[in-house]
Amino acid sequence: MNETIPQSEIRIPQLVAPLRERLFPNNEWVLIAVLLVECAIFGVTGENFFSASNAFEITRLSVEIGLLALVMTPIIITGGIDLSVGSMMGLAAVVLGGLWREAHLPMAVAAIATLLVGALGGALNAALITRLNFPPLIVTLGTFSLFRGVAEGLTRGIENYSGFSQQFLFLGQGYVGGLVPTQFFILIAAIAACWWWLHRTSYGRSLYAIGFSAEGARYAGIPVARRLFFIYVLSGLASSLAAIIYVAHLGQAKSDAGTGYELMAITAVVLGGASIFGGRGTVLGTVLGLFAIVILQNGLRLSAQPAELAGILTGVLLVATILLDRLSRRAQAQPRAQTISEGEEEVRNSQVAVLSAVILAAALLVVGGNWLLIRSLRQDLKNGAAQPNSTTSQTNGHKPVIAMMPKAKGDPYFVSCKQGADEAAKELGVELLWDGPTDLDPAKQNEVVEAWITRGVDVIAVSVENKVGISTVLRKAKEKGIKVITWDADAEKDARDFLIDQATPQGIGYTLTDEAARILGNKGDFAIITASLSAANQNEWIKYIKERLAEKYPDLHLVAVQPSEGDRDRAFSETQTVLKVYPNVKLIMAIAAPAVPGAAEAVKQSGRTDVKVTGLSLPNMNKPYVHDGVVESVVLWNTVDLGYLTVYAANALATGTLKRGDKELNAGRLGKIEVVDDEVRLGAPFIFNKENIDKFNF
Amino acid sequence: MNLGRYKRELAAAVAFLLLLIMVGISAPSFFSAENLRDLAVNNAPTLLIAIGMTLVILVGEIDISVGSQFAVCSVVAGELAKAGVPVGLLLPCLILIGAAMGAINGLLVGWLRLPSIIVTLAMLVAWRDALRWVTEGTWVQNLPANFQWFGLGQTVGQLLIVVIALIVLVSFSWALRNLGAGRAIYAVGSDSEAARLAGVEPQRVVFGVFVLMGALVGLAALLNAVRFSVVPSNAGLGLELKAVAAVVVGGAAITGGRGTLLGTLIGAALLGTIGTALTFAGINPFWEKAIQGAIILAALVSDVALDRLRISDFGLRSKELSR
Amino acid sequence: MTDAVLLQAINITKSYAGVQALKSALFELRAGEVHALIGENGAGKSTLIKIITGAVEPDSGEIKLSSSTITHNSPRVAKQLGIAAIYQQPALFPELTVAENIALGLEQTGMLGRVDWRERRRHSAELLAQVGARIDVERAAGELTMPEQQLVEIARSLGAKAKVLIMDEPTASLSEEDTQNLFRVIRNLRSAGVGIIYISHRLEELPVIADRVTVLRDGRTIDTRLMSEVNRQALIQLMVGRELSAVFPKKEVALGDVALELRQLGSSEAGIKDINLSVRAGEIVGLAGLVGAGRTELARTIFGLTQADQGEIVLRGKHVRIESPSQAIKHGLAYLPEDRRRHGVILDMQIGANVTLASLDRLSRYGVMDFKREKEIAADYIRRLGVKTPAIYVPVSTLSGGNQQKIALSRWLVTRPSVLILDEPTQGIDVGAKSEIHALMTELASEGVAILMISSELPEILGMSDRVAVMHGGTIAAILDRKDASQQKILALALGHDLNEVEAQAKAVR
Repeated sequence: MNETIPQSEIRIPQLVAPLRERLFPNNEWVLIAVLLVECAIFGVTGENFFSASNAFEITRLSVEIGLLALVMTPIIITGGIDLSVGSMMGLAAVVLGGLWREAHLPMAVAAIATLLVGALGGALNAALITRLNFPPLIVTLGTFSLFRGVAEGLTRGIENYSGFSQQFLFLGQGYVGGLVPTQFFILIAAIAACWWWLHRTSYGRSLYAIGFSAEGARYAGIPVARRLFFIYVLSGLASSLAAIIYVAHLGQAKSDAGTGYELMAITAVVLGGASIFGGRGTVLGTVLGLFAIVILQNGLRLSAQPAELAGILTGVLLVATILLDRLSRRAQAQPRAQTISEGEEEVRNSQVAVLSAVILAAALLVVGGNWLLIRSLRQDLKNGAAQPNSTTSQTNGHKPVIAMMPKAKGDPYFVSCKQGADEAAKELGVELLWDGPTDLDPAKQNEVVEAWITRGVDVIAVSVENKVGISTVLRKAKEKGIKVITWDADAEKDARDFLIDQATPQGIGYTLTDEAARILGNKGDFAIITASLSAANQNEWIKYIKERLAEKYPDLHLVAVQPSEGDRDRAFSETQTVLKVYPNVKLIMAIAAPAVPGAAEAVKQSGRTDVKVTGLSLPNMNKPYVHDGVVESVVLWNTVDLGYLTVYAANALATGTLKRGDKELNAGRLGKIEVVDDEVRLGAPFIFNKENIDKFNF
Repeated sequence: MNLGRYKRELAAAVAFLLLLIMVGISAPSFFSAENLRDLAVNNAPTLLIAIGMTLVILVGEIDISVGSQFAVCSVVAGELAKAGVPVGLLLPCLILIGAAMGAINGLLVGWLRLPSIIVTLAMLVAWRDALRWVTEGTWVQNLPANFQWFGLGQTVGQLLIVVIALIVLVSFSWALRNLGAGRAIYAVGSDSEAARLAGVEPQRVVFGVFVLMGALVGLAALLNAVRFSVVPSNAGLGLELKAVAAVVVGGAAITGGRGTLLGTLIGAALLGTIGTALTFAGINPFWEKAIQGAIILAALVSDVALDRLRISDFGLRSKELSR
Repeated sequence: MTDAVLLQAINITKSYAGVQALKSALFELRAGEVHALIGENGAGKSTLIKIITGAVEPDSGEIKLSSSTITHNSPRVAKQLGIAAIYQQPALFPELTVAENIALGLEQTGMLGRVDWRERRRHSAELLAQVGARIDVERAAGELTMPEQQLVEIARSLGAKAKVLIMDEPTASLSEEDTQNLFRVIRNLRSAGVGIIYISHRLEELPVIADRVTVLRDGRTIDTRLMSEVNRQALIQLMVGRELSAVFPKKEVALGDVALELRQLGSSEAGIKDINLSVRAGEIVGLAGLVGAGRTELARTIFGLTQADQGEIVLRGKHVRIESPSQAIKHGLAYLPEDRRRHGVILDMQIGANVTLASLDRLSRYGVMDFKREKEIAADYIRRLGVKTPAIYVPVSTLSGGNQQKIALSRWLVTRPSVLILDEPTQGIDVGAKSEIHALMTELASEGVAILMISSELPEILGMSDRVAVMHGGTIAAILDRKDASQQKILALALGHDLNEVEAQAKAVR
């Protein structure tokens, strides 16, 4: 055959790609730069950012999402996606808790069964995708609802399994050698295994081939369906493993585990340079992407900057990295030989350059603007705080740092608490850190507390979302000499020094029931609009409402409990339906702040003047309805005062003026406040009605 | 008319009918005029979003940032009304603002050819957090009295919302079928390179579709906001998934080029009434999410079952179904 | 042919990221002529027509239509000026109906213009009738077969009422009958004064249809000649710039045992039945037939891509069941598919990884890859097959068609197959690469590989095969020995005539 090919035309092809191309095939170096920049900025602005314990803490927080992201990497490499991983975590957590507590299985057996359930869920995705040829996006969108729904259905949303053994909790909370979190080893092992599997085995190679062209891979003898089946099963398996670690980490198993984790995992993978169209992506990239996000969140927290910045910056980073990748590919657009791959976009380079410059500049402006704004704001705060400081002659000039956490940052209820807290902080001249979860993720509170421990604050004051979950980390804070207060909702008793008690769940439940009985005249039907069906507080209130009904009001009937998901509009439509399905209902009791105005509007629009609304909410958003007479009354305490009192109590605790056994606390404009044992009492729940509501502005 | 081409819509319609029949037997009061009106009013905003999502999915893209944009538009609508903008002007204002937000997506996806799922994922996070940052969770209160129902009163207001949604549905449906622009959307979604060769400019079409999507989000956010007298700062949570699910259940192909607004209407109606229907039928709300997921999967499976019937006498299919 | 110059491309230069695709190319088209444009793959034909249709912008040079320069060319502008094109890969919308597919290319509806569905259907049905195709205009284009899609494309270009019509390999997937139909249509257009640019690798059709021919090589215009003044040999010489030693390097090889035997093989899914065929080691069996006769479907069934539900496959005397390509590979089978870009190679994947993709099991122990050996093997085959590439780690998409085909082929040579099925191994690749692949086939046969070669090019079938199996209607109509086979016989069998009848005719002629 050589006779047909003149030797002169054959060049010896190069065998080894340049180092940069081999190490960073998808420009992953950008992320290293991002990480360096993040470290540089947070090293300066964050407190104790550079410390071994913080470094390990970061890994602890990234294990669950890390596991999901690691198995999401091969899926995205094959051009697929799995939206169901977060929901699968919820299902797996519930199965684990249920099998262990209800079925009394040994923990190890329950864990194995949980892994099996995860694999089965993955197999359902896999079967629909590979056998029936459905797009993964749609299949997993369906199972995204399905898995979470089954988890909620199984537990009625209420069940919260806790009380796990110490050995099991060690998996998620313990330290090996006193420093390294247990799950760190799981993450490292998972990274190593994934890297080896994807980049060193023929299996990994075949996944890339599938990603570039599934049909082409089939023609080359690669069992495409089998490969895809396996990675979706693996994804289900990893999700259930993540769920087990998550349960051990928080000490509780509930149907809301892993909410929103699928987006975090996908973000990490895509940030790591994987192409959503398949064929490109590396484990190194995913790990870098994961840490870019986690360090961003951690660093913002340690430098006391608003957590919302994390979302904005992540979005900008995401667009910027894919843009950069796109541009660099265009620049290299190599064709060494003659033909040019078809479908090459014909956007003029100048257009692209201008557009991307504009977008990048805009992004930089936004980021830079934010940074300046925050800096100046912080400066203002310091100045503002400094002035009273000089007048109120603090002891030895050390300003206590009080870190205060709401259940959810955007919730109007807590926004009003912050009003009071800010007021008190200004009066006292203390530094107030206000941070908390911005989304529904129940693990977020732990993360924030961990960051505060690392940062080193004087007092941590938490409105507890998950009693069991957060107590472990609060105990840890106490061990480190940080004073711990719970406010609004309590943790386990030994995990905190004081509780700022505005009302117990029992008090709330009983007051609501009494108010309902008063409105209905001790007789009739009513319905409850709750937050989400798995919301812990609401479920506890409902428990006490039922208790009160049973013991005191035999003629009052609770006929329905409908969810509102904390969404005003959903509360509206649920109320409409309840009114029609249960025409005898004369009272809607809405027990989530946004649900009351939603229910009120529904009653108002129905024209049913015989139906009243009551519930737990804030005065401001209900004023029009109270004046209309639709909302008979709103049960709540003065949330501004609650925030105010909390900061006063925290300051007193920090300066040593509040100790166990004290009978009262001097709380600024509130005067003397009663202290009973380890509880600071704000007073009984307050009932807002037509007469008094205009006196309050929150 | 060739019914075979609408078999996916038919499957969704049959499922919807089954649901209606089941509810009709167990709770006939479901069909009271009042309930139907409420369902129509409550689902009109979602339908508008789903219409926009249909266009986006038809060109082969996806927009998961609509929920966050919806929240931003709601708050902006409230703030504008509070700042004294006449209610009549709110409509064009909101449509423009929505369109501008859509244009950002359109620029990145259409002109820079970035994958839409990533771009809109970034926007989903960024808009939501930016709004949280600015509002700090406070609601827009003390709106002018004529904000609710545009000052037209409840009955007229409700009618107006439903009528606007229907006008949009019918006109978009007609335009998709009969206007050059509508056919260009199908062409680009079906094969963008072939569309380019046929003289259609895909970038412009994709950009335009995202702008329309944004405009519809603005419109939907306003129509939703005027049903109340206060504006919450966290509206539209999970709206993107609702809209995508409605479109997919309605039979559109996620890969683009196939789907109708009729299907989307059926999909939105099916998913929008299921919760209410379950309550009427006395089924525990705990299972609602699971049932929704099952419906999405069932829509897919019925699709393939219908396909199988034909595939047997066809032999080789020239185009693989997936990916 | 008139002398009026319709279209001129003057000194067109275009480079992609530093690689020159066209260097001062010249081209001229007169009204009422069929002007063939030929050249090896990568010679610049595709780029030139893309520039003419406005799909690509030239770096310098100008396009003149009726002696006025076209500025700001784009597919839209070109369409308005009356330039229409049929591309090699049918550019149809799979989800849309045939009527709409035809209409979308033709109508000048603006974004806000109204669509007239009734007129669309009527017009497209009329155009399809003109090209002699019986296709329901309401069917989705994605459901059509490849040749049907090609016919829709042709109907569409017909409706464009174009002054300039560009056809890029229009006959590549057409049956003989459809090809003749197409030629009739082309002649009609020519007499109506349309200028037609005709691109084809099938040099034998050119004397039948073309008036003049322009040869491109390495982005330059080599020559323009009257078709009547050149023969095939001369054209090949112009295209490659060198003389080819032999067109078909067929060697006699001593045949070994039967390597592949098919007994009553059938598959309802693939639409084939009652296939009886055997291939011996060292033998090349040609598989001829019209498009749609079931040749590719047979290959796919043997290779496990579609399931057989009847008959059996015997490999080297052993009955085997093949349910997937990976099983087929284990049994020593290899299949070079017809659609190179979609199935033959993975375009975006590196060359080295493409070469070894079918032999990953052999290159790994317990699943762990031996990267050093992979590189050695890839480099070895790239050298042996003379693939022109600077490195083994660049994506296959950066190679020319012929080199891509060599990569696709080397993937199977690495598996050391005992039976090699080649599906249109030289379709759409340039003459140089073609003869290299033919030489390679001969070499493989002499090493004892049994080869089953599907080809639509009769000279290739006749030149390379020891025996020729002709398929018709999903089964084998007849198997001819090399010495008995002729173009006429094969064609007649492929068209469904009886073998005895065919032989009787042949005798009568003699």
